[in-house]
Amino acid sequence: MFEILKNILVDKLKVPPEQVTMEANKDDLELDSLGVVELSMILQTELGLEITDNELLEVENIAEMVALMEERSVASR
Amino acid sequence: MTGLDVAVIGLGLVTPGGVGIEASWAAVQKGTSTAAHDPELAGNPVAISCRVPGFDPDALLGARRALRLDRYVQLALVAAHEATADAGLDPSAWDDERVGVVIGTAGGGLRTFEAQQQALLDQGPSQVSPLLLPMYLPNMVAGQIAIEFGARGPNLVVSTACASGATAIGAACDLLNSGRCDLVLAGGTEALLEPLTMAGFARMGALSRLEDPGTASRPFDADRDGFVAAEGAAVLVLQRAADARADGRRIRGRIVGYGASADAYHITKPDPEGRGATAAIQAALSDADASADDVQHVNAHGTSTPLNDLAEAQLLAKLLPGRPLVTSTKGVTGHMLGAAGAVEAAFLVLTVETGTVPPTANLANLDPQIDIDVATAPTPMRIDLALSNSFGFGGQNAVLAIAPA
Repeated sequence: MFEILKNILVDKLKVPPEQVTMEANKDDLELDSLGVVELSMILQTELGLEITDNELLEVENIAEMVALMEERSVASR
Repeated sequence: MTGLDVAVIGLGLVTPGGVGIEASWAAVQKGTSTAAHDPELAGNPVAISCRVPGFDPDALLGARRALRLDRYVQLALVAAHEATADAGLDPSAWDDERVGVVIGTAGGGLRTFEAQQQALLDQGPSQVSPLLLPMYLPNMVAGQIAIEFGARGPNLVVSTACASGATAIGAACDLLNSGRCDLVLAGGTEALLEPLTMAGFARMGALSRLEDPGTASRPFDADRDGFVAAEGAAVLVLQRAADARADGRRIRGRIVGYGASADAYHITKPDPEGRGATAAIQAALSDADASADDVQHVNAHGTSTPLNDLAEAQLLAKLLPGRPLVTSTKGVTGHMLGAAGAVEAAFLVLTVETGTVPPTANLANLDPQIDIDVATAPTPMRIDLALSNSFGFGGQNAVLAIAPA
């Protein structure tokens, strides 16, 4: 799931790949509130994952984001 | 306002002639039209345009930055980078609260607006981008330039349709003359070559329908039938001339007059009596403390529409009986709409600086109703005073008077 998220951040939101690590937080990724809304839309359209922008705003770092994605991925099966 | 004396200390150009001053100036001097069939407009009633060749926003601005910018802002930012570098300015060292930004645009980010409207219709509101407004709003170009360079003075966008770029430069001169700013990045930008806007222009009957794109934009020619739409941007770095001299700046030219007016006549047709345009030219001459006989050259609005070119030529013949040499660079570049006035002001600065008037492309047979002298080849001449005319739909007029350093 980390690789999937990383590909989305790099390909769709043009985040430099070296910035995408498990420990990186939203500031490290320069992911502002508008970027979080974009990411929420992309997760829905690309992966069918329903994660709101508010939920994404609450996570601390990529590791928590990946965990949330995995949780929703299982829940939606 | 009289006694205007503002130095142009830096230029930045992104035009259908190319990215940068050098490519843009070489293209207008060459005098060959840049218009071409436009695949992105396939299916539109008119599918020719003048696009900026080789414009790579990811390479010029960085992919992350470019992703969040409508093309009209991308073009302006690249022009602003060239202009600040050309002026030898270090934005990290300037007195940021004294630096203003004034940019003209007719439509702002309508390309983004149109794409997001499509997303709304196709997929519903949940698929509308959160960046719709920050990308589309017309004021964003000045805000983005402020962010890019750290300019914390007055920051505004003006919109007078096809006069926007010239109005922006005039408004910037007012900010300098009133003492509100010490430096202003002023210019115009436009990127409206998308199907909806182009359909609108075509439905108005404003666009050329000539078959051969290369000869479609033909200002003042007997066979002209409309303009060719173009994209582009120009940014000029402006400083009060006395300050520029004291700072030891290289001065490329000076803006010595600005006239602004409204026709108060019709939404698109020029006033046949030219009252508004006359007032603008006279105001610019008054600023410059000059008479009509002092004008040696005019960079005309010269869009290649039947109505504009006839009305403008008749006005010039009447107001400037000394027969200054007239040119319209739109024969080469097409009509950059809200950017045109700024791009042409930059071209006029280069004309005065180099002493070479660029030719009007595609002028094969001067309209017999037109009695002005139009340059058809690059013409060397020393110029002490020249005018740049810009007239917008809505009857909004802006005229700049430009002199050498």
